[in-house]
Amino acid sequence: MNISPSEAEEALASIQAMMTKTRRAISSSGAYIFLIIWGIIWLLGFLGSQFLSPAITGYAWAVLDTLGGILSAVFGIRMGHGVRSSSPFLSGKRIGIFWLLNFLYCIAVVAVSWPTGGKQMAMYIILFVMIGWIAMSLLISFTSIWPGLIITVLALVGFFLLPGIFYMWMAVLGGGGMIVLGLYIRSRW
Amino acid sequence: MADLNETIHQPVRLRTMAALVTLKPDEEVDFTTLRNLLGVTDGNLGAHLRKLEEAGYIAVNKTFVERKPHTYISASTEGRKVFAEHVAALESILKNK
Repeated sequence: MNISPSEAEEALASIQAMMTKTRRAISSSGAYIFLIIWGIIWLLGFLGSQFLSPAITGYAWAVLDTLGGILSAVFGIRMGHGVRSSSPFLSGKRIGIFWLLNFLYCIAVVAVSWPTGGKQMAMYIILFVMIGWIAMSLLISFTSIWPGLIITVLALVGFFLLPGIFYMWMAVLGGGGMIVLGLYIRSRW
Repeated sequence: MADLNETIHQPVRLRTMAALVTLKPDEEVDFTTLRNLLGVTDGNLGAHLRKLEEAGYIAVNKTFVERKPHTYISASTEGRKVFAEHVAALESILKNK
């Protein structure tokens, strides 16, 4: 079978385009969507915590977290739809149960240490979300471990060394960083 | 230098294999999702899948999910190997032009 160089070039371009389309549509690289969603939520929520009164901030976080949960569920279902894996680690049901337990353990820790300040509570949530992220990365995609570790270190630096601007720190570096990372992963894939 | 694979080179089958090898080795894709990705009709995709299955390049797994029939497709080890060889052959044509 013989083809011209231009036909070969066309075929390779077609392969590349299809691979990119597949990765974006159905492969696990779709995780960038969650980074962008939660990056926006952290950006808005932590900016609110820095500049608004605690009463308003509490409601804002409740609305933002609910919105984030709904959007994550919708995108998660859409991502998982159409592709299945024989690996038991990648079962959507197990991942869902893991995140539910992670959430319940976070509530338990907050309850045990109550009364607790806003910054401590924010740190509990950040640490539980990040340990969940890292655990999933270890099972699904090892390279995804780095954003989790970097955000954890940034959060700890802000909490211990920059308490006066902790919320602002988390909004820009935590939320902003997640958005930039999400956009970077999307463009790279 | 590896030869071009005539079975894979047909445009729809080429794009089908490109989509399937992008998945992880333990993953398989639903027929409807693959059809939507490729933008082809059920009949057209079905015919091309049969050719790829007969060649041993893909595995077709018919099963029931919540009492509804579902067809899942994945690239076989042999399919991944010949696809990689086909891509290498295309690249060598470009290098030698």
